[in-house]
Amino acid sequence: MSAQTVSPDPIATVSGAVHAYGGRPVLRGVDLTLRPGEIYALLGPNGAGKTTLVRVLCGRIRPDGGAVRLNGRDPARVPAARAGLGLVPQEIALYPNLTVAENVETFAVLADVPRAGLASAVARALDLTRTADRAHVPVKHLSGGYQRRANIAAAIVHQPSLLILDEPTVGVDLDAREAVDAVIRGLRDLGVAVLMTTHDLDQAGGLADRVGFLREGELALEGRPKALIAEAFGERMEIQVHLAVEADAAGQDRLIAEGLRPTGRATVWTRLDADGYAAAGRLDQSLREAGLAPREIRVRAPSLAHLFTLVAERKLAA
Amino acid sequence: MARVMALNLWRDRGALLMTFLLPPLVFLIFSSVFAGTTGDDIQLKLAVADTARTPDSGRLAAALVRSPEVRAEAAATVDEVRRRVKAGQADAGLVIRADPASADKPFLIIADPSRAVAAPLAQARVQQVLANALPDVTLRRTVTQLEPALGGFTDEQIENADSAAALMRQDPTHDDGGFFEREAVKDAKVGGGVIAYYAGAVMILFALFSAMQGALGLMDEQSTGVADRLLAGTAGMGPVVSGKFLFLVGQGTVQALLIFATAQIVYGVAAVQHAALWLPTTLAASACAAGVALGLVSVCRTREQAQMLSTFVILVLAAVGGSMVPRFLMPPWLQTVGWATPHAWAIEAYQAILWRDAGVGAVYKAWCVLTAAGLSGLVLAHVLARRLRR
Repeated sequence: MSAQTVSPDPIATVSGAVHAYGGRPVLRGVDLTLRPGEIYALLGPNGAGKTTLVRVLCGRIRPDGGAVRLNGRDPARVPAARAGLGLVPQEIALYPNLTVAENVETFAVLADVPRAGLASAVARALDLTRTADRAHVPVKHLSGGYQRRANIAAAIVHQPSLLILDEPTVGVDLDAREAVDAVIRGLRDLGVAVLMTTHDLDQAGGLADRVGFLREGELALEGRPKALIAEAFGERMEIQVHLAVEADAAGQDRLIAEGLRPTGRATVWTRLDADGYAAAGRLDQSLREAGLAPREIRVRAPSLAHLFTLVAERKLAA
Repeated sequence: MARVMALNLWRDRGALLMTFLLPPLVFLIFSSVFAGTTGDDIQLKLAVADTARTPDSGRLAAALVRSPEVRAEAAATVDEVRRRVKAGQADAGLVIRADPASADKPFLIIADPSRAVAAPLAQARVQQVLANALPDVTLRRTVTQLEPALGGFTDEQIENADSAAALMRQDPTHDDGGFFEREAVKDAKVGGGVIAYYAGAVMILFALFSAMQGALGLMDEQSTGVADRLLAGTAGMGPVVSGKFLFLVGQGTVQALLIFATAQIVYGVAAVQHAALWLPTTLAASACAAGVALGLVSVCRTREQAQMLSTFVILVLAAVGGSMVPRFLMPPWLQTVGWATPHAWAIEAYQAILWRDAGVGAVYKAWCVLTAAGLSGLVLAHVLARRLRR
């Protein structure tokens, strides 16, 4: 965070990382580059290898193959390489009986922040995470949103160049999520490289500069969210049909004949169409004539969630 | 980290009170309980049935009821005595089945084997009362027993013995007629030995108990992600383990201070006068408890495992080491096994200092053993904390 200007050099690189637990491959040649001033969202279903990749970056796992560099050094062999790393665990990794300021100060001391600069480092972390107004409140008395931001404050007090966030908004409401997003953007703007793992695809789509889809230990897809979506869907829009009741067998045949495919919910069907709203109107009429009156038809631009589904179902990318 | 633990404790007022009020309270309870059971003032509850119904048996039964040494209660029959002992309504039973002066065995002691000490104690108390209140009966029983060996007494001798017995009956000399005379090794400290014993016993018991609770925080740090956060940095968990150790040593020392202050104020145990040796003993015992607790908790992978193991270890060490039952009441092999516990070393060291006025020479070995055990646990905790990186 000390470097205010964006450096072209990557802060962290993972090259061809291979790792297995008890003979079961978890990482199969993952390449990852994290640069200053960018937010990278690591996506993937449970068991895809996200946690292992984060542990590799933190130097907690030495991969069976490949190379890892954090600020130019191997974080598993050179502890000093981890000095520029901050980790925000998924849990509120703070002492609940201590105030926000006391927690942040404790982690500053443990991160070897010099005594002389302790107070200013704590104040800076609280300002950046917008928790200064709750500095003297015990963490256990904070709202979920403040707890999440205090969780981040404790990870940035030593001004890391790489911040890793594990599911930073799990279990918080929309307002709290937006506040956390604003904090993450602010850190990115200061030149911090941010890597976040998340299942919140809306958050990833709106926040990340780059996303990577991890599938069975391989980076199946990587790039800027808008570019990936445009590449995958072109001009097509997603048409979502919400039925009032679940369709019978004949009805399902008709829905499939209309190019619709089932989703996770029995009354919701979807298809991609370049005609967007015009196609939705025609579809509505056709379904009503077939006795399948839709309760609602939504037309929307394809999202990262749509892309994620295609990747997870192996309908896109290698 | 020591500051974090101190603030944590300070803000949990319930835990704070229990941490520092319970040890002196438990000490007071333990010392009251065990000073009674190991002291000289045990009042046995004795069910007495006089089936002989002679003048002397009646005198003995009445003397037992009057005696402050026992709590004697009259029972009508032998079966009634047996019933009361079996039901636990009496610690032991006495049946006076013949005249006390007769040559046979006039007394039957009935006791529950589960109260093994009750039978010899009842026997001793009856003999004591017999000698004090009925010395004439003792004399006549002796004369009766001697007569066959001496080939009979002359009339004059029998008359003299009867006169002596009559005199003794009128004015008992309160001589127990036994072989023994008692001398306390230290007249000035009657009863204080047990108090000093239990001050040490409760100190090491609570030091280990509180240290286990504090060390369980290592498990919380793993489950809340604090360990993940720290392991991603340069310091790792090392400072956390060391900080906890320092805090637990301080906590154990304060608890010991409160226990021994109570012992001094309530029972007059000379702790302040022996502060120069008390302090290193306390620091060594606290370091031992802190290190052992951290080492044990580090071996476990979950909080549940750690809680079960710590409960087991606390109870077993306390029982074997002498925190519950005085070591001198244990069988010799158990006393030997006890030296494998920090409790035995701590208890003996405190007793040596506070009760026997011993010098450094008597306790330096305990300091070394306790400190070495604590440091071994600390090193184990550090080594196992590195395992968390994986």
